Order: sequence, then C-alpha cells, then structure tokens
Amino acid sequence: MSKNYYEFTYIINPVLEEDMFKETVDKVTKLIEDNDGEIDEVNEWGLRQFAYDIDKKGSGYYVNMYFRAPAEAIASVERQLRIDDNVLRFLTLKYDAKMLRHRELQRKNEVPDVFAIEDEDEENEEDDD
Amino acid sequence: MIKNPSHPKKNQRKVKQCKFTRAGLEYIDYKDVDTLQRFTNDQGKILPRRVTGTSAKHQRQLTSAIKRARFLALMPYVAENLR
Repeated sequence: MSKNYYEFTYIINPVLEEDMFKETVDKVTKLIEDNDGEIDEVNEWGLRQFAYDIDKKGSGYYVNMYFRAPAEAIASVERQLRIDDNVLRFLTLKYDAKMLRHRELQRKNEVPDVFAIEDEDEENEEDDD
Repeated sequence: MIKNPSHPKKNQRKVKQCKFTRAGLEYIDYKDVDTLQRFTNDQGKILPRRVTGTSAKHQRQLTSAIKRARFLALMPYVAENLR
C-alpha cells in the first residue's frame, strides 16, 4: 500500500486544563499511528489568538504535524476528530512534489525570503507615480 | 510595455515583477502569515494582481494559501477595526 505525505494542523479547545492539551495531542498521534501512519514531526505552536471567533472562543491551542500515511487513513482520522469536541478545527494537506521540495528547503532552513530584495528599491517606487 | 519611443511616461513606467518568482519560491505556505498579510489590504481582502504584480501562477497559490490561513483563523475573513 502506497503512502502519501501529509501536513495536518488542528486547533484544540483552549478552555481545557493544561494536561488535557497533551492528552489530546497524544490521542491524535495514536489515532494516526493506529491507521498505519508514521509520524514525521509534531510542532505545538501553543495558545494563539484567533483572527476571528470560533465557537465563541477568542484563542486556541494550535498543533501542526507532518506524517506519512495511506490515503484511507485520512478519512477515518477525520471522522474521529469531527466527533471529538476538544478539536475545534483541522486542516489536512496532501503534499505533492512541489510542496515536498519546499519542505526539504524548510528542513534545511533555506526557504528564500520573498521580501529580501524589495527593501532596496522601495524608495524609488514612491516617486514613480 | 509601452512601445512608442516618444511616449512621455516611457522612462517613468516601472515594470512590476512577481516577488515570488524573483525569490524562486515554489510553494506558498499558509503558515507564513506575515508574508501573506502583505498581499491583503487593511480590510483583509486579497489584493489583485494588477496591484501587486504577482504572476498568475503564484497568485493562484497565494489565494489558496490565504484561504487556508483564514480557515484556521490565522488571518481574518473581514477585519473589524473599521466601523
């Protein structure tokens, strides 16, 4: 069975106790592993303010992770999380070749900075119009 | 862009260049909120290509990246400070 590379971000309800965050993260990780997934990396961003309210809450505990899993696993993981009241929202992305190359760069910390060159010619820009 | 050599704006006209192409970026990440924010106005709307000079290919990627960031509440759908 072939496996795809996925990026997965989810938001945990902030009203929970401190140790419940860890419990939920462990639960999700286990859920993926039970479905034949191999975890690559888990980054907990921690509590963050939302740009708008979700379910009347102003902030949430963000977790971002990367894993390798068969395509069938995603449906069952998502079904489980939809039932889970502690997970407010999640986003799964399947990585294609381009994104994988970007991920390699990210790992080497070589992602090009979009605005690196711009600051130099910004001065002339204003005079033009 | 202007072919006429005697056009008065010939030397003033600045050819816009796609920032993503120039940086050699292949994929625009929705997690990179600071970059994405520079391509929206203060209402949180996505700026058009004619304003930012982004190439069509990258504008498509940018749009989906911004929409993903909005879904995860990293960016606003509408900024509410204007009222």
